[in-house]
Amino acid sequence: MITLTLKEQPEVPIEAEALSPDVVAELGNDELRALPIFFGKRQLRLDDFFEVEGEASEELEIHGDASRVKWLGRGMTRGQLRIVGNAGMHLGAFMKGGAIDVSGNASDWVGAEMSGGLIRIGGNVGGQIGAAYRGSLTGMTAGTIVVEGSAGLEVGMRMKRGTIVVKGMAKDFTGLEMKGGTIILGGAELRTGAWMNRGTIISLTPIPLLPTFAYNCSYNPTFLRIYSRELETLGVSLPFEESEGSYELYSGDAAVSRKGELLVWKPAG
Amino acid sequence: MLRITGGKVYDPANDVNGEVRDVCISDGRIVAEVAGADVRTIDAAGMVVFPGGVDVHTHVAGGALNFARAMTPENHRAAAKFTHSPELRAGVGGTTPSTFATGYLYAGLGYTTVNEAAVPVLSARHTHEELRDTPLVDKTCCVLMANNELILDLLEEGETERAKHLLAWHLWAAKGYGVKAVNPGGVTAWKWGKDAKILSEPVPGYSKVTPAKIISSMAAMVDELKLPHPMHLHCNNLGAPGNIDTTIETMKVLDGHRAHMAHLQFHSYGGDDWDTLRSESVRLAEFFNGQPNLTADAGAILFGDSVTITADGPWQHLLYQLTGRKWGNLDVENETGCGVVPYTYKGTNMVNAVQWAVGLELLLLIDDPWRIYLTTDHPNGACFWRYPEIIHLLMNADFRRECIDKLPEKALKRIHLPGIDREYTLSEIAIIISAGPARALGMPQKGHLGVGADADVALYNDDPDRERMFGHPRYLLKGGEVVVEEGDIRKMVDGRECIVRPSFDKNIEEYLRPLFEQYYTMSFDNYPVEMDRLEGADIRECG
Amino acid sequence: MAAQLGGKVTCTLGEVKNRADFIIYWGGNPADCHPLHFSRYTLIPKGKHVPEGRKGRTMVLVDVRETPSAKHADILLQIKPGKDFEVITTLRALVKNQPVDAARVAETGLTLEQMQDFVDRMKNARFGVLFFGMGLSMTRGKHMNSAAALALVAELNAYTKFVSMPMRGHGNVTGADVVMRWTTGFPFGVSMSRGYPRFNPGEFSTIDVLVRGDNDATLVLGADPGATMPQPAIDHLARTPTIVLDPKVTHTSRLARVHITTATTGISAPGTVYRMDEIPLPLKPILESPYPTDEEVVHRILEKVKEKPAWLPASFKEVPCA
Repeated sequence: MITLTLKEQPEVPIEAEALSPDVVAELGNDELRALPIFFGKRQLRLDDFFEVEGEASEELEIHGDASRVKWLGRGMTRGQLRIVGNAGMHLGAFMKGGAIDVSGNASDWVGAEMSGGLIRIGGNVGGQIGAAYRGSLTGMTAGTIVVEGSAGLEVGMRMKRGTIVVKGMAKDFTGLEMKGGTIILGGAELRTGAWMNRGTIISLTPIPLLPTFAYNCSYNPTFLRIYSRELETLGVSLPFEESEGSYELYSGDAAVSRKGELLVWKPAG
Repeated sequence: MLRITGGKVYDPANDVNGEVRDVCISDGRIVAEVAGADVRTIDAAGMVVFPGGVDVHTHVAGGALNFARAMTPENHRAAAKFTHSPELRAGVGGTTPSTFATGYLYAGLGYTTVNEAAVPVLSARHTHEELRDTPLVDKTCCVLMANNELILDLLEEGETERAKHLLAWHLWAAKGYGVKAVNPGGVTAWKWGKDAKILSEPVPGYSKVTPAKIISSMAAMVDELKLPHPMHLHCNNLGAPGNIDTTIETMKVLDGHRAHMAHLQFHSYGGDDWDTLRSESVRLAEFFNGQPNLTADAGAILFGDSVTITADGPWQHLLYQLTGRKWGNLDVENETGCGVVPYTYKGTNMVNAVQWAVGLELLLLIDDPWRIYLTTDHPNGACFWRYPEIIHLLMNADFRRECIDKLPEKALKRIHLPGIDREYTLSEIAIIISAGPARALGMPQKGHLGVGADADVALYNDDPDRERMFGHPRYLLKGGEVVVEEGDIRKMVDGRECIVRPSFDKNIEEYLRPLFEQYYTMSFDNYPVEMDRLEGADIRECG
Repeated sequence: MAAQLGGKVTCTLGEVKNRADFIIYWGGNPADCHPLHFSRYTLIPKGKHVPEGRKGRTMVLVDVRETPSAKHADILLQIKPGKDFEVITTLRALVKNQPVDAARVAETGLTLEQMQDFVDRMKNARFGVLFFGMGLSMTRGKHMNSAAALALVAELNAYTKFVSMPMRGHGNVTGADVVMRWTTGFPFGVSMSRGYPRFNPGEFSTIDVLVRGDNDATLVLGADPGATMPQPAIDHLARTPTIVLDPKVTHTSRLARVHITTATTGISAPGTVYRMDEIPLPLKPILESPYPTDEEVVHRILEKVKEKPAWLPASFKEVPCA
């Protein structure tokens, strides 16, 4: 395992896309220390910012409040990236495989345009997780993001496939222009599912809905029973028993399509 | 002073066809000889020497292009990046390069002159500012006129003489080089959400003005004004199945007047709808071959991402409805408009496969390389920095056949390309990328390496991989300065704009001013572009 | 940002003057903020194809409260604050004859009948224009509210001619946007830290950078963030080196390390201003100024910067980064 410990808070954010299992897997300690870190307009060395222990491993662990360290795990395809602390913007962007685990909070653009892999965040995240970068047609196309805390705006914007779970509250525009995939929410603020084309959004608490979503029925779909078991392995609990309640099914967004599904859990009694 | 020695020189305008001979340069021009200690010698052994490339139809500067830049940040993200250095400004390449990057990318092909094909008078100031920030290439620009309502109103009244003076006034006000006609009447009709697809039918809002009338009147005006470049024409009905009829009818309407037909590929289709779309390049080439007054550029497409940017508003709305891609539209009061829709050409799509074939067919079937030029209507058909791919397809029939084999089966019956064996020679390539366009633009100092020409010279490795060859000039000289050396951009020089000063009756301004104040929304005195907006413009007096 | 999402259908102001018979102002108060709008471009003028002038035009004002612009309106649609996105999304569905939930429609402050009537009027217009102001672009939803307006207008073009236009703030915001795009490709929020242009609103946009303290120096030209930005941004400007170029001593100047007085553009310095519809207008100075122009000062700063050692190491290799 390679362990990096942040020495102190950088004066301006640093960009560290070199910190990914793919890059470090075959590097010796000296080579690790010399990896490029971008500090504003300057290119410096990894060991200018981090204590560096270990070498040549697919397991990379970062200690400290790295909330100003951007692009960790960019494009990674394998291995484990663990952050004991917080992580900065663009964590796991373009990720293809492997796993990322953050004990604390992450920022905006977690897993943006990812196409595989697993990202787990112990705290809160910012906005645009699993989303498309500005102007891009498509966000995440596969993979899983699980957030224990809350999330910001535009969660899963333009995602095509994959799963996003936010156990806490998400802000506005969750699932904006979704093309497919699944988003599971503890709850959300406004405009959930806005302009969605296809895909499924499941909210465990009541949420405000756009006028362009139509109520279909209340039900306990069979697929959820099976899906729920899968999600348990990720530490996510999805209710499905009739005795506990049922889901209100809405379809929309009539402004663009009516094939999107929004399920809102209604507890019994 | 400079001597290029040992290279095979291709200078078709002066009948030099691969001869190994010296090219001498002094004070920014080609000279017969140089002597003395101060002469730098470039050893061009193993290289071919071409006059610098001339792009006769491209969209690289101004309101429409900048609108496309606004709409497509994702394309800039995916594009080649230019990093700031002591010599180079930063920028992005891709489908709509930023201005500095545009200059670097053209230099990276060995091109030294570009013609910005569509400039609205109302925002010409903007176009000139962007062209000023486009280094390393000389520029001309064509000013949009065929939907100028003040001119159309005069044509309606039968006042063709006055319309001519008004046209000339506008060309000078915009500080342009040529006259551009896009979808004559159609862009005006688009102001009400309509189009003008039938040449003999009056344009909505008019009873006598038809697209045919606009086309023939304007071509005549350009000839009477003795402008160096003929009317540059984007025909009605662009992109529509069966539009071959409109194109042939247009050529007949031109009735012997000069014209340059833009991006002919998009105007060469048979069929009744998208399912029956087919190539009519044979019919078009046959007719075109018999019209010596006309030149054309190919407007070829290549598979991949592009952005469509044209003044053809109705076409862009249709493309948006067909594809669901994001749609930009900007109508310019009284004059013209533009539409922007990002588009991806796919090798598996039958329509795109036909379009790909048609562009190449036109280049191969039109007899005279002096009359058909290599373009992609950048960025509509493909990005200009992919021209080397087309050169390779033209020069290598085996490679072409390999590409045809990848096309969908049902496309093969709709195209003529499989039956064409012709391979372009280096000399012919020099004509379609440089000598021919220079001649069509009426620029006697460009497109050749004779004494007196501007010293715009490109040196390429004589590489059987023609795509690699033309994509990586070893050297490029611009006005005698070595700007590219061993493939790297070494020096930034500013290009110049070439504009025309046509003759017109100054009294036309008295006619125009009150109408302008009534129909426009700015002060008349702010309308013409000031000379000092153009750095060191080269002015051609006409008439 | 809205145009990046779905495009933008627009025109220059003369088109509105000459053709528009149905004018919507949404979330804007032109009577106060763009005082010449009605008289020069949109309501009063006799246009080439609207010779009756005001009588040939219908003006709809959509806002959360009644403003001085209301007395110029033929139809007033008052919606509840924070409901613009809901209203426009519903209109988009109604344009396409799609069903909507009447109860949730009513929560917006408009009834379904009012919305249907609005849609019918829009479709029956000969030439409609939607001007949207900061009431849309700066309230909750921000660029998505603008994107909604643009999407509605694009879709109306299947039925009739319709265009949209943002009502821009003062100064040369449009000009800055235009120039940024041609030189870098991107309209704002551009970072050059890796040597080439990168764009990401929220990461590189000025207000976010200042609020988070992501930069360690600030050069301010023709703007006054010290007057308008949130307190954390102002504090950051005060404690890091800030340089201001402005004809006047501004709020920001008072926080700055250096203030350089420059000539007023348009009065003493030439230039170009881009109107809200991106038409470039020349600025012709009429008075002399004892102060240098912004351009002169920036050039002099650049000369000094060029004397410094290059900050990119010789072996710098571009690492791809979105």
